[in-house]
Amino acid sequence: MTAHPPTYRHPSFGQRILRDWKLNKWKYVLIIPVLVYLALFCYKPMYGLVIAFKNYKPTRGIERSAWMDPWYSWFEKFFTDPYFGRLIGNTFTISLLTIVFGFPAPILLALLLNEIKSNKFKRTVQTITYMPYFISMVVTCALIRVYCQQDGLISDVAALFGGTRQNWLMSSSYYRTIYIISEIWQTIGWNSIIYLAALSSIDQEQYEAARIDGANRFQQCLHITIPGIMPTIIILFILRMGAILNVGYEKTLLLYNSNIYDVSDIISTYTYRLSFGGGTPQYSYSTAIGLFNTLVNVVFLLGTNFFSSRVSENSLF
Amino acid sequence: MKKILALALSLCLLLAATTAFAADLLPAGDRYPLNSDKTITWYSQDCLNPHEKFADWTESPFHTNLAKLLGVDIQWSFPTTGADGSSFTNTMMADPGSLPNIMKGYFMDQANMLLEDEVIWDLTDYIQEYAPAYYAWLQTNPAYDRAMKTDDGRYYAFGFFREDGGWNDSYLGVVVRQDWLKECDLEVPTTISELENVIRVFHDKYGAQFAFPNDARFRQAGIQGAFGAYATGYVASDYGWYVKDGKVGFGATQPEWREYMKWMAKMYAEGLIDQDSFSMDDTSIKAKTETGKAGVSVTSMGQLNIWNKEMGSDTWIGAHFPTADDGSISSQFGGFGIGTHTTVITKTADEETMKLCLQMLDYAYTQEGFLFWNYGIEGESWEYDENGVPKWTALVAEDNDNDPMTKYNGATWGNSCIQATNLLYLKNSPVAIAANDAFFYTFGKDEYFADPEVEAKTLAVTGGWKWPVGITFTTDESDQLDLLGGNSNLNTYVAENYASFITGSKDINDDAVWEAYLAGFDSLNLEKILAIRQGALDRYESR
Repeated sequence: MTAHPPTYRHPSFGQRILRDWKLNKWKYVLIIPVLVYLALFCYKPMYGLVIAFKNYKPTRGIERSAWMDPWYSWFEKFFTDPYFGRLIGNTFTISLLTIVFGFPAPILLALLLNEIKSNKFKRTVQTITYMPYFISMVVTCALIRVYCQQDGLISDVAALFGGTRQNWLMSSSYYRTIYIISEIWQTIGWNSIIYLAALSSIDQEQYEAARIDGANRFQQCLHITIPGIMPTIIILFILRMGAILNVGYEKTLLLYNSNIYDVSDIISTYTYRLSFGGGTPQYSYSTAIGLFNTLVNVVFLLGTNFFSSRVSENSLF
Repeated sequence: MKKILALALSLCLLLAATTAFAADLLPAGDRYPLNSDKTITWYSQDCLNPHEKFADWTESPFHTNLAKLLGVDIQWSFPTTGADGSSFTNTMMADPGSLPNIMKGYFMDQANMLLEDEVIWDLTDYIQEYAPAYYAWLQTNPAYDRAMKTDDGRYYAFGFFREDGGWNDSYLGVVVRQDWLKECDLEVPTTISELENVIRVFHDKYGAQFAFPNDARFRQAGIQGAFGAYATGYVASDYGWYVKDGKVGFGATQPEWREYMKWMAKMYAEGLIDQDSFSMDDTSIKAKTETGKAGVSVTSMGQLNIWNKEMGSDTWIGAHFPTADDGSISSQFGGFGIGTHTTVITKTADEETMKLCLQMLDYAYTQEGFLFWNYGIEGESWEYDENGVPKWTALVAEDNDNDPMTKYNGATWGNSCIQATNLLYLKNSPVAIAANDAFFYTFGKDEYFADPEVEAKTLAVTGGWKWPVGITFTTDESDQLDLLGGNSNLNTYVAENYASFITGSKDINDDAVWEAYLAGFDSLNLEKILAIRQGALDRYESR
């Protein structure tokens, strides 16, 4: 605390708001659409979560649908579901593997691109690696399925080296590998953009100073580049951990088949089948599972954030 | 007792197959046009969308002509293009106060609740007076009447019926390459051993396999009947359940089902079944059938038609569902010729409006209305041929758009009407019709029409074992089923084990594996679900 002259009176909260408003009036006006958007599309729908505790029937609406007795019935059903353990296990495994192998990949790509001198080559590589991201998931997954068929590309290569032809997606032991590798292929280019942006903001004089001190390229990378983009890495990592149970259903749904449910069935595909797999959609049950999903995600987000703020100065809040 | 029951059942089904001709329906007389100044709102979840070439229904001859014939203004609505129909309907239902007066969707499951909550009209007291043709039609067959009311006898819906009584419900089945059959000097297979032999010979000679889109087609169709099993492995809908002697059963736990799995596992282990079958859909199977990688498959009459069109020849033909070697078959893909979708009148219509709606809906079940819903207006889109059977005029026959008849008729895909068998003959190619004949007339087509016993046998095998259309659960039962996991977990469990048994990752020949599989059903509440279903069936039977 700095000592104030005796005549200084600390402005009240109201005064501060008023002063701030006078100063930044137009900035606040600018932000109104964003606030309206958040309120309408992110906060208002949260009211619908109440159906996780109700026996929701479309014709009765949210208001008139009866409360569950006991109120946690749908959660109890999920926790005692014969597939509960497997769903959580598969979701975590796929998510963690994606983080372990998929998270560093774009960072490495960005570092490698950063070292390239030829601008033309750099742009070409960037364009090629972005491309899969812009192809529809349905198309990329159809490609993967065709490659994995018993008369597909992978079988052709395997046969060349004396392996057997088989449908690779029919085997529980290959599914995760196929999933992770294709995931990296799809996202590596796109995800590297933010790191490239971070890299460009590193002060070039630091490199000059390091070179004068006799640091080679690798040492420059280790001591200047990586620390330079570390805040970006950490923030993205925390956000990624906050989505640990959010493994999208689209890709799994397009790749899996009933023979490999044991490794591929995840929470989101399970709820998808609850809603669209024939029969009456179970809105309340699916909502309860979704709510549980979100709670786990929040715990991981806060946990990672807490951990990060302890070991480094970087954190979300 | 059993014999009497079987006889009674066969009789019902027999009636279903033979009654529906326009002449048997009540004439509309001078009841129409109704000359009302009301405007009725009418929603159809699917099957009645205006033809794709029209901007909206105001350009569609069927929709505008219907209003003219009825003498009532109709304001049509449909799900937005690209939206999932069921979700769209459910979203609408969330606001019962502003529903359209007439709605077509899937309401049978929730009929009791919708009546209790006064979302839809109970038509019992009005149906005979204001919908006499429909009521008369329902009385022609006890199965129709039962399907269209609740357990306590309340009428609430207008249904969809096929004149053929089930022929087109067997639209899926085994298909083979007839050019290869000829080259190998083989007959079209009828028994399971013959089918196996054809697959083997095709494999040895052409390197082809038995390939099929499992989830999209094979799992619903199944060939379990050759092994004496009932119901298919597709539990997500009602295909997985069967009814035998008044008892509900679950298909995938029968000992006969295990024999079926053993056969599939043997075929898979010998490399006779294409491994890709489990991940194929209607599109990817075409690459196999067109390049000679498949010689035997399972698909629909429509897909078969597409395969042949794209290959430029009638290479693929339909075969009978395989029987056991002694010619017996327990069950096969089929139905009763009753749709699961219904049309209801909502409470947004006041009593007078409801009476008007009843009369509007009744039209489809009169002689005149039957012809209009199936063919459009006489002299415009159709005329009688020399045998007195309706045929298209040049207006439809020379129109190259997809399914041009849907511009003029409403029965092509099914709605609150009776679909004429002749319409299906007019719509489909000869090879597709021949395939449907092969799928349905398991014991021969000529025999079917010549011998009532064969007819009864055919109907028992195609639809007789099925979970009846129109069974309603009470609101309480639906809630219990939801909490017990219903069909969803059972479907996951069966689908997964079905694949494991066939691919050999679980050894179906090992008794311990089979026992463990059966024990797994305990945690899925199979017994409790069966008990609830039995209760619903009993109530249905005693309607």
